[in-house]
Amino acid sequence: MRTVYTDMQRFRFPVGRLPDEALLSGLATGDPELAVTFVRRFQHTVFGVAIAVTGDPQLAEDIAQQTFERAWRHAQIYDSRRGSVTTWLTTIAHNLAIDAIRSRRPEPVAPEDLDALLGVVTDTPEQRALADDASARLRAAVAQLPREQGRALVMASIYGMTAQQIADWENIPLGTAKTRIRTAMAKLRTTLTSPKRGDHGQ
Amino acid sequence: MANDVTCETLRENGAELALGVLPGRERAEAVAHLDRCADCREYIEQLTLVGDGLIGLLPGSEPPVGFETRVARALTQASAGREGRRATHGFGRLRRGFRGRRPGRVRLRVAAAAAALALAFGFGGWAVGTAIENWTSSPPGPADSTSRLLSAELTGVGPDRPEAGEIYAHAGAPGWIYMSVDLDDAGIPYTGEISCLLERTDGTTVRVGTFPLHDGYGYWGALVDVDPSTLSGARLTSADGTVLAVAHFETAS
Repeated sequence: MRTVYTDMQRFRFPVGRLPDEALLSGLATGDPELAVTFVRRFQHTVFGVAIAVTGDPQLAEDIAQQTFERAWRHAQIYDSRRGSVTTWLTTIAHNLAIDAIRSRRPEPVAPEDLDALLGVVTDTPEQRALADDASARLRAAVAQLPREQGRALVMASIYGMTAQQIADWENIPLGTAKTRIRTAMAKLRTTLTSPKRGDHGQ
Repeated sequence: MANDVTCETLRENGAELALGVLPGRERAEAVAHLDRCADCREYIEQLTLVGDGLIGLLPGSEPPVGFETRVARALTQASAGREGRRATHGFGRLRRGFRGRRPGRVRLRVAAAAAALALAFGFGGWAVGTAIENWTSSPPGPADSTSRLLSAELTGVGPDRPEAGEIYAHAGAPGWIYMSVDLDDAGIPYTGEISCLLERTDGTTVRVGTFPLHDGYGYWGALVDVDPSTLSGARLTSADGTVLAVAHFETAS
């Protein structure tokens, strides 16, 4: 870790260009510039997850700060084979946010928030589609789900609601809630695992 | 597990498992199945990628002014504190509770809470797989308040049995193990994957997973059934099977 930083200083490598993994590792040096760069790079994403799940700016700020502290504390167990630093951080933030709302509210989501969030995750501006093909395909696949499946999916995946909670919320049988989650996820899995269209001849 | 989960059952509950919303007992049974079914593990990993992707669709948002500075300062100060502790005490504060034959009750509880917290937020799971990570992340049901915690000091295998960290095993619902390893202090600055095996009183062992060490240093945890009446110890081995550290459990509380 320190070697990375030392070399970086020697060659005047701008820390803003460090790969995510190296930046995460470099946090252990305690260097203020690395810490600022790390937070600056990911704060928008981390806070976005926290505010989307909680809807509470103060709580979201606490969660975002905890996310960075936990990432720093456990940086040595980060394994790039399991996913990107961004995904690791958003997973931590999401878990913290779910836990926070479970302990604070009997109902994790308001109806208007659910519909708004479903709209957000199916929003497909052109720049997003161009920027990340996998995300764009996933977003499009969510948009194509029947609305009741999309709602069940968002309730489970974003708000961390169990099938029983979804059944109670939607006033449907438990089996129906489980089927909606399973069917929606199966469609999205097919989307992500199927060969990309237009990969050849470009 | 009392109830054996089939691949068909796993596929029915797989989406909920991957999203971390499958209730306790079903979760535990499903994860036990994953431990012995590679096809279902791959299936769950794919669904977990979908779950990760869904979270990735959430829009970013600017935190309040000053957030960046506050958090960066906190990280820097925490780093300084950790470095200070390492310079003074070697591996860290938790080990000091194990220097005597009987670890202190208060410190042990603090350590146990830290271990549970790490697992509760998925750090252990990240090491063993993202599906497990989601499983550990947000258990809908309460923990078993009557569960037992075992602890042991990890020691190197040399003649003077140098300290090499500590390990906790929680017998409850869910059961889990958590360990912090510092083989560097034991003179083994090993970097690479190591395996954790739990030993039973009848002499059998069960492999519970692998995790990376960097310069002999690392943390790891996993959800696993822990039977305090038969769990006798643990063994950490390198990729070629060399035993790097061992532990012998005693009841901690």
